[in-house]
Formats: sequence, C-alpha cells, structure tokens
Amino acid sequence: MQRSDHSIVLAVLAGNKEAYGALVRAHSASVFRVAFRIAGNEADAEEIVQEAFLRGYQRLESYQGRSGFGTWIYRIAVNCALNRISQTGVEAEYRHGEDRDPEEKTVQVATKDADPERVLLSREISAAQDIAMRRLTPIEKSAFVLRHLEERSTNEIAEVLNIAPNAAKQAVFRAVQKLRRELAPLRGNA
Amino acid sequence: MSHLTDDEMTELYYAESTSASDAHLRVCRECSAQYSKVKRTLDAIGSTPVPQRGADYGDRVWETLQPQLMPFEKKAGGWRGWANWKAVEVVASCAVLLTAVFLGGRYWERISTNKTNIASAPPATQRVILVVLTDHLDRTERLLVQLEHAGSKDRTANAELQSEAQELLASNRLYRVTASNAGDRELAGALDRLEGVLAEIANDPQLSAADIERVRKDMNTKGILFEIRVLRTRSSDQESGPGAAKGATI
Repeated sequence: MQRSDHSIVLAVLAGNKEAYGALVRAHSASVFRVAFRIAGNEADAEEIVQEAFLRGYQRLESYQGRSGFGTWIYRIAVNCALNRISQTGVEAEYRHGEDRDPEEKTVQVATKDADPERVLLSREISAAQDIAMRRLTPIEKSAFVLRHLEERSTNEIAEVLNIAPNAAKQAVFRAVQKLRRELAPLRGNA
Repeated sequence: MSHLTDDEMTELYYAESTSASDAHLRVCRECSAQYSKVKRTLDAIGSTPVPQRGADYGDRVWETLQPQLMPFEKKAGGWRGWANWKAVEVVASCAVLLTAVFLGGRYWERISTNKTNIASAPPATQRVILVVLTDHLDRTERLLVQLEHAGSKDRTANAELQSEAQELLASNRLYRVTASNAGDRELAGALDRLEGVLAEIANDPQLSAADIERVRKDMNTKGILFEIRVLRTRSSDQESGPGAAKGATI
C-alpha cells in the first residue's frame, strides 16, 4: 500500500530524510513540465526542478497539509521559474538571430495539408511564438502559461503567483494582447 | 450592449465570461468575427512539446538532491537548540518581570495601608475566621430556605436535608462556643437557636414532612433565617475590609 504524501512529509520531519525521495520521484515530472513551459528550455527547467525540491525540503516544516504536497511543490516550482526568468531578464531579443519585419513575414495559414511549405510555416510560427513569449514580462508569461497551457483558473494563478485575482487576470489579458500583436503579422489577421 | 472588448473576448475564450458577453456574441456579427480571430490566434499558441523524461527521472533528481539535504533531527539540533535557549531567555525575563511587579505591588500596598489606618486592620487570622464563618452562615441559610420549602414526602430530599444538618451541627457548636467566649452575644444567641433547629433535624430517626412542619412552627425557623441573613451580611462587611462594619467578631 502506498503511503500518502502527508504521512511521508511527517516521516521526513521526524528525521527520515530518505522518505523525501518518494515525494521527489512522485512529483518530478509535473514539476519539470511547468518549469519547462515557463523557462522555455530544458537546462533551466532541470535546475528549477532541483531548486524547487531543495526549497521544498528547507521549508517542509511550514507545509501544513491544507493542499496536497503536489500542489505545494508546484507553487514553489512556479516561483523558482519566475525568479529565474526575472533574473535572466527578457532574453527574447532575437536569440535566433532573426530580425523580423512584420510586413515581410505576413503569411496566411489557410490549409491543413502537411506539405513542405506548410511545415516550414509552422516552424516559423513556432519560432515567432517562442520569441513573442520571451517578450512577455515574467509575471505575464507565468500567468499566461498557467492559464493557457496548464489550464489553471484565475484564482489558482493568483494563489500560485501570490498576487490578487484581478492582477492575475490583468496579467493574462496583457499577455494575450502582446502575443496577438506579435503574431498578427504571421497570421495576417490576428 | 456595446461591442465586446479584447479582454472580454479573452475571458470568453477561457470560459470565464459573463452570460451577457455570451449572449452578445450570439447576436453581434462584428464581435463574432473578431472573436473568431482571437480564437484562431490563441488556438495556434500551443506549447512547445515538453521533452519527455524517462521513468528514472525522479531517481536522478533525488540522487542529485540527496547529498544536499540534512536530516531534520540533526538540523533541529542546532536550530531547535537555539530556539530553546531563546525560550529560556524569554521565560527568565518574564519571571524577573513578574517578581519585580509582585514585590513592587506588595511594597506599594504596605505603604498605602500604613498611611490609611494601621490600627483598624484586622489580623490575618481573624480574616480567615470571618471567611469560614461566612461560609458556615451561607450553608445554614441555604438549609433553612430548603426547610421552608420542604414538606414533600420525598424521603431522598429529606435524607439529604438531614445529612446537611448533621454536618452543620458539629461546626455550629464550635462557632457558638467561640462567639460566646469572645463575648459576641448576638452571634452566640443566633447560633444557639440555629443549633436547636439543626439538632432537631439531624437527630430525627425518621424525618417526615410532619416533623419538618413541626420544627418550622415550634422553632420559628423563619425568624432564625432572618437572623442568619443579618449576621451573614455583617460578617461579609467585616470580611471585605477594615472599618466596614463595627461590632464583635470571632
């Protein structure tokens, strides 16, 4: 029979350090997923996972079991990711070495056929999206990732980011506006 | 309703909109067209595929993490030790403060008492006696009140009354003798009359409603109750402070 996360936490607090391994194994994948989505690259995501579990261990005495351990460590991971992208700054300044002229890059994606041209366009859209995401502020990006990719509610986002629900909603709005503006040339009509 | 804003359309997309926005979208072609664009854009923003981690990913994370962690008990030794010292410090400070307040209060009280009237303060033993006497008078008053309202054929209630009378009888004798020796005739007289009632109740082999009625009539228990109330008030006054009531006390 599997032990509950809460009982594992109690065991760890009682001095059984090894028990924490079970929590790490159980939640590493979900922590990595959100870390990758916010940080945008594997190396950073790996470090965020390490940092999140380390911080989690250090703060374990403050864990009160009101929410599941998974939710708790998820919040820590989002904050670690947020700190990391805040520290590195807006690194979107054309990491790909492509300066973009919106007029030149305006395209229409009108067909779903998987022809080479469409694959190319799809890659281009993906790259543009990547750049657009990097131009968001850390809070906007985190809020958007949580809303759009992690499908969290406004209240959950607010709780995870430790901001007011209205601030969380506004961050999502701003992110959507910026992304639409950035991607408009590619879609031609957004 | 005016046209939907971009933010309202975003809310619609994430299913956090109001019903009014929904309704407007159904009837307004312009907003509907605009919303389609918003939806297409947001639909197109997919996640870059998250690189798959192997089944052993958790193990690898743990292997890297494990050496950096200190077991809680070991860690607690330092931290909790410090916390314990802090607690001891706080407790010691509180104790010193309380002692200072207590001694200061006593000193202040002594000065105040000396200033007011040293002679009028009753000795401590006398205060104790007054407290005990007041308690005895309280109990006898309750018993007399019960006696006034007794008369039922409830043998259990009568037995309780008798038991209480037996207890009070012994102590009442002591108080009466003491009051008599102290020359407090008023108190000694009242306690004497009370003793008669208590003795009648306590020593009746089969206390019945008729017996109680007889005691009430023959011994004027109402009058004794009144006397006890007066005495209790007097002893309470004496107990509450010097000079509150004058007269003999035991």
